[in-house]
Amino acid sequence: MEGIGIAWQGLIAQLVSFAILFGLLTFLLYKPVRRILDERSNRIKESMDQAEQIKVRMAETEERVREQVEAARREGQNIVAQAGQMGERVKEEARLEARREAESIMARSRIEIDRERDEAIEELRRQFVDLAITAAEKVISETLDKEKHRRLIDEVLEEGPKGRG
Amino acid sequence: MARIGLWGRIGIIILVLFALLIVGRLLFPLPEMPHIELAAEGVFSIFGFPITNTMLAAWLTILVLGGISYAATRKMKIVPKGLQNIVEALLGMLINFVEDTAGKDYGRKFFPVIATIFIFVIANAWLALLPGFMFIGIGEEHVPLLRGANTDINFPLALALISFVFVEYWGLRSQGFFRYVRKFFNVGGLLRGIGQLFRGKIRGGLSAILTGVIEAFAGFIEIISELVRIVSLTIRLFGNMTAGELLILMMLFLIPWVAVIPFYGLELFIGFVQALIFGALTLVFLVMAVTPREEHE
Repeated sequence: MEGIGIAWQGLIAQLVSFAILFGLLTFLLYKPVRRILDERSNRIKESMDQAEQIKVRMAETEERVREQVEAARREGQNIVAQAGQMGERVKEEARLEARREAESIMARSRIEIDRERDEAIEELRRQFVDLAITAAEKVISETLDKEKHRRLIDEVLEEGPKGRG
Repeated sequence: MARIGLWGRIGIIILVLFALLIVGRLLFPLPEMPHIELAAEGVFSIFGFPITNTMLAAWLTILVLGGISYAATRKMKIVPKGLQNIVEALLGMLINFVEDTAGKDYGRKFFPVIATIFIFVIANAWLALLPGFMFIGIGEEHVPLLRGANTDINFPLALALISFVFVEYWGLRSQGFFRYVRKFFNVGGLLRGIGQLFRGKIRGGLSAILTGVIEAFAGFIEIISELVRIVSLTIRLFGNMTAGELLILMMLFLIPWVAVIPFYGLELFIGFVQALIFGALTLVFLVMAVTPREEHE
């Protein structure tokens, strides 16, 4: 043991040295470094959590925007549909108006026609009376009292259809 | 320039070394063979307590390590810079190594001792390579003032004892006294066998006694192997570091010039390897001690 130098003094001294270094490094090195490493990993975790939250919030916002766009699109479609319906109604009204117009025009035309026909019949009868008188004069060859005759014929014509029918 | 073949180059190197040998011998003649002393030599003594050159070296190491630690952690910042960054990275590697081996919980508890062993050994080994160690002598006998602490067998022995005590402490603490001690005094099977013999079961009793004896012997071997660790840890570190020191001393004696530089490189590497081995072995012993026996068999 002497030869390689084992000695209790040396052993004790080196044990004490180790203890001193152990304490020194624990307080000057291990604890501070451990603390800073833990703190850093905590920070990193926090910022990753934050990033996660931001991502979630962004997704929510996106969803909301999408919903709003969707709502706007639906509204637009509604408006277009309403406009279409309104146009349809206007068209319908115009058609009805036109038909009424046409009907009234037709009614007026019919009245006119009736009136003209009545006039033509009247005219025709007058001419027929004259013609009949002329013909009668020629047949009888006698100058008759024109006024008297006319009255006579008118009477006949008035009663004619009744007397015969 | 003509190309020189492999053997040509080797020849040139040998020639240069030879020239260096001669020139070095002429310029720096060594008067005598270096005096080789395995035991640490006392430099002076305080109240009869001898202070050896290796103790001085260990204290120097403590001062240097304390200084570096203080400088690195004095103003710590969350974003590291400079020395703090380097020290943090190195310590981080050590932390990862310990926690990978022992797991997160035990790693945290084992780390300070493992790290101190590793750092102390590597710092002793590397500081011992500085000029000034071994070559500044005092007194009439020219006793070196500083000598690498690893080369004093008391230092490896102290570390090995600390390692041993720490391992046994954690074994007892994590497994409980009886569970842990059963590993070494495994006589349960033997007693059962004797009991069976008394109850008249001769065959069963005898075979139980046989396995009991084997188990008890295995426990005895376990004790021996646990104790041998102290010796092997001590001798490994002491032998390697002392051999390295003597190698450098002899190389300097033979060729006082450049030729010694590769050996300094080798010693840097060996210092790292020995520190790693000491720390890693202690760590492995710790892990074995805290792991319940049923699991690793």
